[in-house]
Amino acid sequence: MKHHNSRLNSEGQEQTSSLQNNTEHQSAVEFATAEEMLRHDAEQTAVPPAVADRLQRSVELEPKPTRSWWQRLFGGV
Amino acid sequence: MSALTTELPVDPETTTASSSPERVHLVPAELDAIYEEHSRPIYYLALRMLGDPTQAEDATHDVFLKAYRKLGEFKGNSSIRTWLYRITINHCQNLLQTWHRRHIHGTDDESVWERAAGNTDSPLRALETKELGQRIQTTLDALPEEYRLLLLLVADEKLSYEEVGGLTGQTSDAVRGKLHRARKAFAAIFNQTACPPPRSPP
Repeated sequence: MKHHNSRLNSEGQEQTSSLQNNTEHQSAVEFATAEEMLRHDAEQTAVPPAVADRLQRSVELEPKPTRSWWQRLFGGV
Repeated sequence: MSALTTELPVDPETTTASSSPERVHLVPAELDAIYEEHSRPIYYLALRMLGDPTQAEDATHDVFLKAYRKLGEFKGNSSIRTWLYRITINHCQNLLQTWHRRHIHGTDDESVWERAAGNTDSPLRALETKELGQRIQTTLDALPEEYRLLLLLVADEKLSYEEVGGLTGQTSDAVRGKLHRARKAFAAIFNQTACPPPRSPP
């Protein structure tokens, strides 16, 4: 969020997060706050492509917009 | 996208299509643009609220289809994203109530986390693996719904505290106050979800 430009820990102190490697050379990540972790998790989470395909099919099955009586009468859009 | 400049309904879930004076549909290109920009945060919110990828897929589909149908009720008093979040929250909460899953959401007794927490002020560490997502889900499932939703919304940098407050039915000051407790609760539970280190042979 815009107001979270400074990363705050639970005591309100500024704290920077850092990427670290542990002794087993596995990539580890460190976060100052829960929402920082959630933000990272969200960035790593992609929407399955099947959702867009399914949505497109559903939209195609939707009824066409109806035109009101005054639109039919006056030929409005 | 001039069609998106109408008024935000108080609760799009409770407003029927027949009550709308004029049904306005997105053209496919507009829907594509909205989906492109907002589908990831909507899917993520649904995923973490429901805790199941398949159900989150269904929910994401349903949310955007509802948005397509209800665009005529959107009056532009909020951003599109906030409107989509509102639909998502209502949709997921309805599903959760239907599935009687509230019992797995843990306790509202904050003293439990205070006692359980070793040091909730320390940074949250996790290996950069799939395990992180599983631990996050376990932690969120153990939080009260209010804290879970608050953290998920505040994590979106495009939402202000005022918008989060609007979505959760409270003031921005209340959001700030509860956010502090939600962070502590999250940290306490998250640190308990850590896998124990491998035991060395005697």
